[in-house]
Amino acid sequence: MVDIALRHDASASPATARLRRYRAQDRMFFRLTLACALLVLAVFAGVITSLTVGAWPAIKAFGLPFLWTEAWNPVTEKFGALAPIYGTVVTSLIAMFFAVPIGIGIAIFLTELCPRPLRRPIGIAVELLAGIPSIIYGIWGLFIMVPFLQQIVMPGLIYAFSGIPVLRDLFAGPPYGIGIFTAGLILAVMTLPFISAITRDVFETVPPVLKEAAYGLGATTWEVQWNVVLPYARTGVVGGVMLALGRALGETMAVTFVIGNAHRISESLLAPGTTISASIANEFTEALGDLYAPALIELGLILFFVTVIVLAAARLMLYRLERRAGGRT
Amino acid sequence: MNSRRRLMRQLKSRIFLGLSAAATMIGLGWLALILGTLIYEGFSGIDLAIFTESTPPPGGMGGLLNAIYGSVLMSTFAVAVGTPIGIFAGTYLAEYGRDTRFAFIVRFVNDILLSAPSIVLGLFVYDAMVLTMGHFSAWAGGVALAIIVIPVVVRTTENMLLLIPNTLREAAAALGAPRSLIVRLVTWRAARAGMITGILLAVARISGETAPLLFTALNNQFWSVNPNAPMASLPVAIFQMAMSPYADWHRLAWSGALLITITVLLLSIIARLIEAQTDRGSA
Amino acid sequence: MSQANTVKVSINNLSFFYGNLQALKNISLPLYLKKVTAFIGPSGCGKSTLLRVMNRIYELYPNQRAEGEVILDGENILARTLDVNTLRSKVGMVFQKPTPFPMTIFDNIAFGLKLYDKLPRSELQGRVEDALRRAALWDEVKDKLNASGTSLSGGQQQRLCIARSVAIKPELILLDEPCSALDPISTAKIEELISELSEDYTIVIVTHNMQQASRVSDHTAFMFLGELIEFGETEKIFTMPSNKRTEDYITGRFG
Repeated sequence: MVDIALRHDASASPATARLRRYRAQDRMFFRLTLACALLVLAVFAGVITSLTVGAWPAIKAFGLPFLWTEAWNPVTEKFGALAPIYGTVVTSLIAMFFAVPIGIGIAIFLTELCPRPLRRPIGIAVELLAGIPSIIYGIWGLFIMVPFLQQIVMPGLIYAFSGIPVLRDLFAGPPYGIGIFTAGLILAVMTLPFISAITRDVFETVPPVLKEAAYGLGATTWEVQWNVVLPYARTGVVGGVMLALGRALGETMAVTFVIGNAHRISESLLAPGTTISASIANEFTEALGDLYAPALIELGLILFFVTVIVLAAARLMLYRLERRAGGRT
Repeated sequence: MNSRRRLMRQLKSRIFLGLSAAATMIGLGWLALILGTLIYEGFSGIDLAIFTESTPPPGGMGGLLNAIYGSVLMSTFAVAVGTPIGIFAGTYLAEYGRDTRFAFIVRFVNDILLSAPSIVLGLFVYDAMVLTMGHFSAWAGGVALAIIVIPVVVRTTENMLLLIPNTLREAAAALGAPRSLIVRLVTWRAARAGMITGILLAVARISGETAPLLFTALNNQFWSVNPNAPMASLPVAIFQMAMSPYADWHRLAWSGALLITITVLLLSIIARLIEAQTDRGSA
Repeated sequence: MSQANTVKVSINNLSFFYGNLQALKNISLPLYLKKVTAFIGPSGCGKSTLLRVMNRIYELYPNQRAEGEVILDGENILARTLDVNTLRSKVGMVFQKPTPFPMTIFDNIAFGLKLYDKLPRSELQGRVEDALRRAALWDEVKDKLNASGTSLSGGQQQRLCIARSVAIKPELILLDEPCSALDPISTAKIEELISELSEDYTIVIVTHNMQQASRVSDHTAFMFLGELIEFGETEKIFTMPSNKRTEDYITGRFG
């Protein structure tokens, strides 16, 4: 400890005490941060464990066929996940069908066409809208969109497609207003700002020289977007869309209001249906009996697995993009 | 021939760009429509009673006081619990873990939790707390919201700390400061504005969360301050009232929705202003 | 002149590795008490790395390691047993870009002072004022000690950082291209400061500016690709270098 004596001739021992205190503080602080990082993993592990345990009676009773059984009968305690899985997938697909092209369109508009002074305000508006809670979309869908769809859009669709083979069946039946199609539309509106915001961010990582080079060759604005920007940004756009898909799959409130909560699979998209999250939200507090609640928890477990896979894929794509963007600068 | 092809290409470009402009109009128009009806329907129902009376029985008169109280209480609890955990975990990732495999896993899992279905997190808390305690409670609701706060704060904390140049840490280390003091006195302080932004965004995020409260805090028709009992919250109250057949309840639901939206937009705008301020400061 | 030279630091057979990449190869040279030593050489030659060994700041990063000896006042600072924070509290360092902490000017200086000494308020104020005077910054900031350190101009910030290093009365001051981000007037002020400080402190400066090295330093070490090519009195290095590569470099033929 010569070094300490060098500066603190008279006070060697307080200085060593302080050194020791610093070391202890460092260790404590490090362990605290590490513990909190571990807690994040623990929450994740806890979700999986508790859902598996909670769902166990249902898993044991129904086995794998749970996944492809349509029945959902609380009285006879026969449960199957097919209808909610179908509803979850179809509503999300409808949402992506509308939201992806429109969202990418908005991103192109914002990066290429929009007059400069408007760019920031519109961009900020889109980002703010992405933060609006889903219950707002739900209540709006129920009170405003459902009557409108019931009275105008759905009858129109049924009439318009009545002569076309496949579409005739997809858009059939009485116009309830609520149902799979309505839920998909609401999800589309909800994920739209999300997709546009991410896509715009990704488009902005495209190096200007690439675009300039293409313009230099005489390409039109559209050709630059389609042949240069989109291929370059592909990974990021797909990642962003999958992130939105993950949200749509797990979304509860926007859907629960307007889906009708009917445990059946109808040919028509206009018919009421249910999704995994809507089933849980609607029925869980009333789920009596030995298998009812476990069946709902098993639904939750399935939803968690599916969204984790979709989100994981999305994140890996976005990480790759970040590394590329980071490596370039 | 050649010039005709060029003309066709230009035309095609115009058409598609026109479509993208149309997409923007549809998208923004639709969202404007939502906000418009929300403001119209919501404001018509807002009066003093909203803030002074509890939720009414069907057909009766009343307000949203108990729901507002519940939302504020549970959000406060969630932020008080979730923020420190999130900040410490984010600090681990940015200051200690960095490129290690363990840090990568934590970051990855955190990003997944960030957008995991919140209803599933509600199920988890139901299982872990409601079942063990034997009853629904505001505590459980607060914990469910805290689980949503954590990943948001972890992400922003890490991002903001990574923006702090390493030379600042080196400068503090060069004076002999131990690692924990460098983080607490220098890097946290340098990243303060960004971290506050993250907390505001987390509050915005939970103030509209409904699904995780449905079977943790449940709902409560009456005025209750007991955190050990079921408690109303704005989103759950809105859900219940909107799904009912009563016109009075519908009006209250709209007003509640407007309150939430205003809160969320205000928080996001404040967060943005803070961010803009610091951008200018550091430039 | 060389008669009065006492060795303050002696670097013996020092090698440095970034992972598998060897950045310093068997460097040996002395640093003399209360003299200014300049490290010059083209970018990537290892001059900054050598500087960063002397307070073991490289240990903040994984996979970086040093081999050999650096003896400061008779003690090997690379020894595992030595507490790195104690070492750093005896060695001041100033970086390329100014690094004011996000706190007041006063607290910037007091930060290092409070770490290892428990000073009464009045003495603390005295030490802060003293440090700011030594860095020729006192007159400019004495009325706004509670303003944020980041509100100062670039040149003032850099002098604040020098004051911060001087405040802890270091045995050795390390300057890593301290003027490369500054305008000519600020640069001149800092160079003047370095000369004044060398009356009391042992100083090492890394610079890519050869005029600067010749103006401020007593000794110069020329490095190239991780090796020490030539070390000697600055005047000699710049007037009659004994090595061909040194000559090529200082006459501007490469680098």
